[in-house]
Amino acid sequence: MLLFDQLNKGDRTLRMVAWSVLGGLLVLAVQLARLQVVSAEKYRATLQTQTFKTVRIPALRGKILARDGRELVGNSPRFRLDLYLDELRPQFQAEYTRLKREALAIRRAAMHEDPTAGWSRFLALFHRNRSTPHLNATEIDALQKLARFLVVSNSVASVNSRLGTQLAVSPAELERHYIAKRFMPLPILPNCTPTQVALVTEQSWSQPGIALEQVAVRNYPHGMLASHLLGHLRRNDTFDEEEGAFDYRLPDYKGAIGLEKAFDRDLRGVAGVKSILVNSAGYRHRQAEETLEPAHAGRNLVTTIDLDLQREVERALNTVKGGDERGAVVVMEPQTGDVLAMASAPSFDPGEWIDTISVQRYQSFHLKEPERPMFNRASYGEYAPGSIFKIFHTLALLENGLDPAEIYTVEPNPKKPGKGVYFLGKRPIEDTAPPGLYDLRRAFIHSSNSYFINYGLRLGWEKLLSMGRRFGLGDPTGIRIGEEKSGFLPTLEDVQHSSLTAGNLANVSIGQEITVTPLQMAVGLSAVANGGRVFWPRVVQRIESDGPLAEEPPTTVKPGQVRNQVVLPAASWDFVRSAMRDDVADPAGTGTAARVKDFAVCGKTGTAEIKGNGRKDKVTWFASFAPYEAPRYVVIVMVESGGSGGGTCAPVARQVYQFIHDREQGLHRGLASK
Amino acid sequence: MNRESLIRRDSGMDPLLWAAAFGLMLLGAAFIFSATADADAAAHLPWWRYHATAHAVAFAGGIAVAAALCLVDYGRLARWSLVAYWGSIVLLIAVFLIGVSRNGAKRWIDLGPLQFQPSEFAKIAFLFALANFLSRPADELRLPGNFIKALLMALVPFALILKEPDLGSSLVFMPTALVMMLVAGVPRPLLGRFVGGASILAALILVDVLFAPPQWKFIKLEEYQRRRLLVYFGVDFVARGSTPEEARQARLLQRDTAMNVDQAMISIGSGGMTGRGWRQGTQHSLGFLPRLGAHNDFIFSVISEETGFIGSITVLGLYGVVFFTGIRIAGEARDRLGRLLAVGVTALLFTHVFVNIGMNLRLMPVTGIPLPLLSAGGTSVLCSLVAIGILQNIHLHRRHY
Repeated sequence: MLLFDQLNKGDRTLRMVAWSVLGGLLVLAVQLARLQVVSAEKYRATLQTQTFKTVRIPALRGKILARDGRELVGNSPRFRLDLYLDELRPQFQAEYTRLKREALAIRRAAMHEDPTAGWSRFLALFHRNRSTPHLNATEIDALQKLARFLVVSNSVASVNSRLGTQLAVSPAELERHYIAKRFMPLPILPNCTPTQVALVTEQSWSQPGIALEQVAVRNYPHGMLASHLLGHLRRNDTFDEEEGAFDYRLPDYKGAIGLEKAFDRDLRGVAGVKSILVNSAGYRHRQAEETLEPAHAGRNLVTTIDLDLQREVERALNTVKGGDERGAVVVMEPQTGDVLAMASAPSFDPGEWIDTISVQRYQSFHLKEPERPMFNRASYGEYAPGSIFKIFHTLALLENGLDPAEIYTVEPNPKKPGKGVYFLGKRPIEDTAPPGLYDLRRAFIHSSNSYFINYGLRLGWEKLLSMGRRFGLGDPTGIRIGEEKSGFLPTLEDVQHSSLTAGNLANVSIGQEITVTPLQMAVGLSAVANGGRVFWPRVVQRIESDGPLAEEPPTTVKPGQVRNQVVLPAASWDFVRSAMRDDVADPAGTGTAARVKDFAVCGKTGTAEIKGNGRKDKVTWFASFAPYEAPRYVVIVMVESGGSGGGTCAPVARQVYQFIHDREQGLHRGLASK
Repeated sequence: MNRESLIRRDSGMDPLLWAAAFGLMLLGAAFIFSATADADAAAHLPWWRYHATAHAVAFAGGIAVAAALCLVDYGRLARWSLVAYWGSIVLLIAVFLIGVSRNGAKRWIDLGPLQFQPSEFAKIAFLFALANFLSRPADELRLPGNFIKALLMALVPFALILKEPDLGSSLVFMPTALVMMLVAGVPRPLLGRFVGGASILAALILVDVLFAPPQWKFIKLEEYQRRRLLVYFGVDFVARGSTPEEARQARLLQRDTAMNVDQAMISIGSGGMTGRGWRQGTQHSLGFLPRLGAHNDFIFSVISEETGFIGSITVLGLYGVVFFTGIRIAGEARDRLGRLLAVGVTALLFTHVFVNIGMNLRLMPVTGIPLPLLSAGGTSVLCSLVAIGILQNIHLHRRHY
């Protein structure tokens, strides 16, 4: 070939030169092959990591809906004002140049005191940098930092004068952002009002680097409604291993309590990833962003909550004591175990957690005694049931062959004539019911402690406790709402091993020394109302993706899942139900305050005496269902430090039933008029 | 075969050389455009002030000068070689007095609309002068005095350019001079002794620069040059017994110094077999390659990233064509002057190519030296084309008529 002829033609020296050239070119070619063919993957990977930053984009959180599809918790847009540092780079540079010039001028002025200036300037032609002032690396760093801060402060100031705000960015804050994530915008104003949005987007105003970003935040259209059940969110900055590593994650929330926590996985959805092209200075490269994986919105929870009923329940609970109520109400559908309403007082505003909550505020929520607003009394509060336990006690007596017509005589209390008393050995146990002759029905309606202690002692630990246990008392109900406690019913082992005495049994007979949650009581009473089916309570009936084009089919939770079937003769059920009806309907009953015209409410009052913090306190109850003929509602009312079950709690139940009855009547009228 | 047809067949320029040169010029213009167009557009420059446009203009000027050079027999040109040589020395000295600095190095002379680098011009003038000097009868070259004179001819511009400072440009004089002396017939033992001595001296200097404590440093290199050498030879920046803060500073400095070469390697390596496509490379647009060097000393990295192994090998191939054509022209030259000139031009171009691409590939330490015909920079382009023109001139006038 014409070219390589040189390798074997001509004289020796030229051949040598030609071979050397060929050798040199081969060396280059071999190294090229090593870099571009052998190690190409390695360099490509390095290129990827240095030029792309991955950012996690949180998915839109699923909504929580009432049973009719109305929104209990949703999302609403919010406008955040951002400052893009990359767009300020020319200004950073200009400001730095200005600062540097000033600094050098000062230094040069100090230098000009040198008398041999003329000669040294001539020498400077040969010795660069000897006599011209210059800055060292630390000084340059400091000046650049200052320049950035001045430029950003200027931008923020011009935003302030535009919007009339008092925003400020601290040098430390800016530097943190600059070092860790300068490819991301610096948020200046987290929540712009509509007026501010209008001012910013107006044509006449343009400020480099300023941009509005729309973000979704949790929206609570009904404020504090059902806040314990729904729960609240908390800022989440932890890295999830399943998702892999990101260079940055956008602010994200996770459920802290309530349904938000229990169904966090479904609600949260799947986060997406976008990659941002960054330049060698670590800034975002213009607008080049690419969504690598889109975020998939979370799924919606359809609850069993009856929104209007919930609102009425809370209204009733929050007015019972004139403002400082501590209590809970659970409304359940006895034929399915669906929770229709669940309220706990006092309550809190979940919206306060959208932005950072102050420590004081947080502590006031959690630590304030005895209110403890964060505490879900409906499922997490354990209370002595008091006399409402007599419902189950009665069933146990009937099952064990007590003749309801058997007469027991209650002695009068020598200290308090007009009230009964029971002597356990020599120890008197006071009664609130009057002395006299009692059969089971009369004892139930008057809530005679002496009667139930007498027969309870005869019945014994095992038969009494096992009846409560069969109705689910003392066990978690298995509801998935984040917070639940089990209550306490002693087991037989407890009885044997901790030397419980007859005195303890006497107390347990009337619902003392054991605890239940209001939710448990709702499940147990539903079984009484429906003839023995103890349900797994249900509050979430469906988890479904949003929109008609959702790919995933909805997950449905079957209603009326029976956990345990309590088998008792029909006569027993009839006896207890009618006794509960009479407790409300009979003028001598304790629950007359729950009476609703044309709506047969059946109930049992309870007042448990407890010792809390060294002083005596009361837990008052009203456990009820209605209507008598075909029970459709169970309403459990519990109020801490109430007066009495009949006086404090029964009126709350009455208001709830009145609402239900009125609504049904209105519906009927509405249908009739059509 | 009559004489006329003989002349016609032989009197043309070498088409293969022009083809290779045009190929390189085309690549140069295309990838300088790729490396600078975005920045130029962002700076709102009109199209005629784009880097690529300036480059194309330099091509036009260079081709014109090269063609003009071919009109005059190189023998006649060589008569002016001493004048040109001393003229270039004067210009190099003038750089110190009236030169302008860019990026801390005083290498340019400002002529109003034009700025030019006398060091580039000095390379050509030196080639002519040395070729002229060495073209005397081979017997005279055996005299050590002439050998030393030849060496001095190279050392004077070498020293002046080194002082600018422009280590890369100064270093090309030595290999070029050596190859020319070798081909001219300077006795091998003499050359060998010189090369051996110079190597030992260079090694001593290196050791002094790299490892000696400050008070023992006899050679005063610029600090950045010293750091580049440290990086090239893999010497740890962190001195023994330094505090954590000092160590941190030293590491940062090391990373910054190594950055250019590391990024050049990433550019080249990530190009893979076929490259990322013209204007698709990100290393220069995102500023990972030095912004001032991407279209300049690091243009090979840009080409490699965007055209891959295939493109890089093509570039090497085109240079190969130029070199082998140069050697062939040397072999065909009618006299010793032509032969030496052709060898000198080839050696000069080869040194540039090897040092520059070697630096991009981390085979050589970082020294600012342009890649002929590819790197932006008017004087370099002009002189590269003049070099091609000289080869064509020798080819054109290879016979006495």
